[in-house]
Amino acid sequence: MNNPEPENFGAHSRRTFFKSLGTVAATAATAQVRSVAAELEKANAESVIGPGAVPVTLKVNGEKLKLTLEPRVTLLDALRNYSSLTGAKEGCDRATCGACTVLLGDTPVYACQKLAIEAQGYEITTVEGLAKKGNLTKVQQAFLQKDALMCGYCTPGFLMSVTALLRKNPKPTADDVKHACAGNICRCGTHPRILQAALSAAGVATASKTEVVNYV
Amino acid sequence: MKAFQYATAHSTDSARELVAGNGLYLAGGNDLFGLLKEYLVGADLLVNIKSLPGLNKVEHGKTFWTIGSLVTVAEIEDHAEIKKVFPGLHDAAAEIASQQIRNVATVGGNLAQHSRCWYFRHRDTQCLKKHGDLCYARDGENRYHSLFTGNSCISPVVSSLATTFAALDATAIVLRDGQETRMSMAELYHGAWENPLAHNSLDKGDLILRVEIPTTRTRSAYLQVSDKHAFDWALVSCAAAAAVVDGKLKSPRVALGSISPVPHQVEAANSFLDGKVLDDATATQAADLILKDAKPLEHNAYKVPMAHAIIRRTLLKLKGDA
Amino acid sequence: MSSWPAEPKYISHSTARVDAPAKLTGSARYSSDIQEKGWLYGMILRSKWPSAKVTAVNLDKARAIPGIKAVVVAREAEFNVRYYGEEIAAVAGTSKQACLDALRAIEVKAEVRHEFVVNETEALKADSPRVWDNAPNAPTPHVHENGNVDTAFPGCAAVIEGFYTTAVQVHNPMETHGNTVSWTDEGVTAWASTQGITSVRDGLAGALQLDHSKVRVITDFMGGGFGAKFGPGVEGVLAAKLSKAAGAPVRLMLTRFDEALAVGNRPSSFQKIKIGASADGLLQAFDAENYGTAGIGGGADAGGGGGGADIPMPYIYKVPNTRVKQSAVAINAGSARAFRAPGHPPASYGMESAMDDLAAKLAMDPLELRLKNDPSEIRQREYKLGAEKFGWKQKYQKPGSSPGVVKTGIGCAGAAWGGSRGDRNTQGDATINPDGSIEFRLGVQDLGTGTKTVIAVVAAEMLGLKPEQITVRVGDTNFPYGPGSGGSTTCPSVSPTVFDICTKALEQLQTQSGMADVRGENWFAACKKLGVSPLVVHGKWQPGLSTDHACGVQFAEVEVDTETGLVTVKKILGVHDCGLIINQITLESQINGGIISGMGYALYEERVMDDLSGVVLNPNFETYKLPGIADVPDIEIVLINMPERGVIGIGEPATVATAGAIANAVFNAIGVRVSSLPITPAKILAALGKVPPPVHA
Repeated sequence: MNNPEPENFGAHSRRTFFKSLGTVAATAATAQVRSVAAELEKANAESVIGPGAVPVTLKVNGEKLKLTLEPRVTLLDALRNYSSLTGAKEGCDRATCGACTVLLGDTPVYACQKLAIEAQGYEITTVEGLAKKGNLTKVQQAFLQKDALMCGYCTPGFLMSVTALLRKNPKPTADDVKHACAGNICRCGTHPRILQAALSAAGVATASKTEVVNYV
Repeated sequence: MKAFQYATAHSTDSARELVAGNGLYLAGGNDLFGLLKEYLVGADLLVNIKSLPGLNKVEHGKTFWTIGSLVTVAEIEDHAEIKKVFPGLHDAAAEIASQQIRNVATVGGNLAQHSRCWYFRHRDTQCLKKHGDLCYARDGENRYHSLFTGNSCISPVVSSLATTFAALDATAIVLRDGQETRMSMAELYHGAWENPLAHNSLDKGDLILRVEIPTTRTRSAYLQVSDKHAFDWALVSCAAAAAVVDGKLKSPRVALGSISPVPHQVEAANSFLDGKVLDDATATQAADLILKDAKPLEHNAYKVPMAHAIIRRTLLKLKGDA
Repeated sequence: MSSWPAEPKYISHSTARVDAPAKLTGSARYSSDIQEKGWLYGMILRSKWPSAKVTAVNLDKARAIPGIKAVVVAREAEFNVRYYGEEIAAVAGTSKQACLDALRAIEVKAEVRHEFVVNETEALKADSPRVWDNAPNAPTPHVHENGNVDTAFPGCAAVIEGFYTTAVQVHNPMETHGNTVSWTDEGVTAWASTQGITSVRDGLAGALQLDHSKVRVITDFMGGGFGAKFGPGVEGVLAAKLSKAAGAPVRLMLTRFDEALAVGNRPSSFQKIKIGASADGLLQAFDAENYGTAGIGGGADAGGGGGGADIPMPYIYKVPNTRVKQSAVAINAGSARAFRAPGHPPASYGMESAMDDLAAKLAMDPLELRLKNDPSEIRQREYKLGAEKFGWKQKYQKPGSSPGVVKTGIGCAGAAWGGSRGDRNTQGDATINPDGSIEFRLGVQDLGTGTKTVIAVVAAEMLGLKPEQITVRVGDTNFPYGPGSGGSTTCPSVSPTVFDICTKALEQLQTQSGMADVRGENWFAACKKLGVSPLVVHGKWQPGLSTDHACGVQFAEVEVDTETGLVTVKKILGVHDCGLIINQITLESQINGGIISGMGYALYEERVMDDLSGVVLNPNFETYKLPGIADVPDIEIVLINMPERGVIGIGEPATVATAGAIANAVFNAIGVRVSSLPITPAKILAALGKVPPPVHA
């Protein structure tokens, strides 16, 4: 995965430069062996920010979200508590359930285990960004048709995992789907339907294994 | 998580300088945020090392491959050449955690991760590893713990890359006090063998830069057994690597994870296997040697037959189609 | 007596979940997504001791944290905490980060007691520390006797004895417990993650000493409950108090860590079973002792839906001579709550394991033993149908006779669920607008079971419309009363109610429009004749349209790696009677869900507590293991269609038999019994005699 340079770091590097001189870079500042110009260059590159809130710009579903956040705020908290984008869910806050899965570029990650400031510069996609103009994507349609959701709380995460898989591998096998979705937990037990939906979205026909038998 | 400052380092020098106070390196963050959120470690400053130049590359020469410490586990899994040259490494990477974690987890972070012992990870137990005076697991719930240890703490190493790198006789290149230090996997974890407080041999400020894997062992394999079929820690993991010349093993190495604070290697087994043609009997004898001194506790004795089985299977996998 | 349409167009067919688009696009707002104007984040401080007397709680430093708007104690003055994780105080602030800092700033003075017990078997001992000062940990077991087991056993041709145990299972719904609560001068509004909006309203009103009419509970979407979410809970009351203190709405959702400690679980069971049969396989005698723990006490602070640890024994079988002794043993752990078919999965697992052990002793096919002894005609039919579809005869081998290292095995087990015909007080209304649009309002809630879809399907059927033309609103105590969703009763509660609303709507619309048939293609013309006033009709539950007592049987096929102990479930076949099927696709999802939950119970799930520290060691998804997509087998379902019986709920019966079927399949594969759930690789290897005795270093 590429690690793009957070785009707005330059914007407040001047302010934080002085801060950094006063704290972490103190040894360098007191040593006074290097030229001021060299110091400036280094500090601009490696400014220390926080622990208080700093400006953060996230690009979510194609739109810029300008926030002011402490560095410790995760991407998931930023979305759910500082914006109205509550589609990504908090199920564990420990990178174990996948309900918070979002895409950075095309890559699914746990938003609970990513600092918001580190998500700057990425094209972030949440579940709200999948359907364009109200038209469900193929994956969403397949989830609807196969009833691959029940309470729906894990569903945004599974949708992101399956969407990412199909972008990377448009013709996955059942094992590929399992491998890609193993990091998502569902407590209602929609797994068989998610598998069917993912395969169905990839154009693989899946048949129902249910038989209805009349008693009388 | 407590509040912290944050900085991105653009050179290893500045990374070291920044981390020197009460700082911690941040790469993928999978292990670090788990520790921070449970207040198991504290930091005033997180030093983002993901922009350090040159550490995110996989390169290969004739005699060894170099994998930068910022290469992600997913990149290893997806690397077609690695899959051919080091199939064991590919298989180990593919079984690590989940897709979302593999996408951000780095080689360096996987190697440096802390104990998963549930007493260590619990916010309200003060175990040996947290400067307490007791290993709760030793007479407690020790189903996931070690069969071997050099100290009172019985939490095992869980890095499956470490297990595999050990079998491949890889070397970690660690930046320590501005100097590059070469450490075998045994050396990288020896600290945890001796010291209950340690998770590995890294000192504060040490930074894993890359791993060098010699190409001498043309065959490698990795297997693990977990309670579940995916996204679960290994109960036991095993990696084996060797060259095969005229059907005979050359320079074989076997390493196990999750049964010792270090990747468990038994020199006697490696030398026993050297020059042997692999078959069930040889693999069984090697497994016997590897597990000979195991000291099972109340709830982890199952790891002995489990390890025995996957040592044999991993070794037999080395035979491949040849 | 009312009756369902004979040739339905939507009922018994499949309609896509009506709220799927909202859930698939992220527009569905769950209780944890509510962002009322000026909302604050809330969190709870919990006891870090399993037993202590809290003597003082100093909130001053927490109040001084920037962004903190309110801090309240869970209980006033001195109080005892009896388990790790019991509530002590709560904070509300402008950010999660402020709350995290505030929790750490609260100073708690406590006299920590080192006498506590978190292990059921230890707690039973005479010298065990007591959970409650004035009562023993376990009351004298109550005994139920029929016939005379002591005289019956000597006459049995085969007798087996077994000790079957099950672990404490944690509900772990994906959305944790919690609420957003706004307490203003007008009253309290709570957006609750609940399966009982009415019980939450009543619980909050009681705790806050408000009139019921001053409390409104809204649950548009909620992320699963499984029995643990009926009351407001301590967390709901604390959220309300924080809201009042701060003068702002407070969203207080539990963390995953909290979820394992204080908001319910399924009790453990330790079942000592002795069972005997005559040579022809007819059960003659059953003697059992069972104990389990419901934590500090079932229902003690369960906020509704509590229970003890008793299980139905000898479960679905009729045995002429029985003696059953049961008791619940208290330990220093959070209370049990109702959990999907309370009592039944452990009962099915224990009894069905004993049945297979007995079949082995009798050298009898275990399916045959069931057919000889199961008194239910429906299950008899289900076993026969299922056996044929599953290929039981072709696949069955004697226990342990599967060759090779990786052995295969099959097993089966049965389920019963009483349930009810629905809550007869269920009500609802509908507004029919002159433009033909129609909205139904029922004071029930949709847990993800498909309740909204059921309402749309029944309404569409009755009115001759399409399900997508029906607007369904549930989850609001301002709507006519509906019951909590428990006991698999929601579908049989709402279906007859919607039937009644529709029947009345048709009658009134006929009268007002003067048209003989207002359904289907006439609907819009008829509605137009309403002029400017919408028609509002009220309906209630009607008898004759629903029933109770569901039966099910399940078949499992497993592979067991006898060297690593890994169990892989290859296939589960569930055969269930569902009376009149309302909506097949969501019904199938319920059965899938029940099976997968049962599979977790069989193979993975176990709350682990530490004897020495008294903490729950796995309050997370890392070591409290849930089945994932890679673990889930091929699932096949046979639905026994019995429309003549009316509507039955399926949520609970579907989860009962799975663990027993899997455990029996494992026994069939390896020829030895793993008599303890979950069946982990460690236990498989131990059962196979491969585990060396431990050596203490």
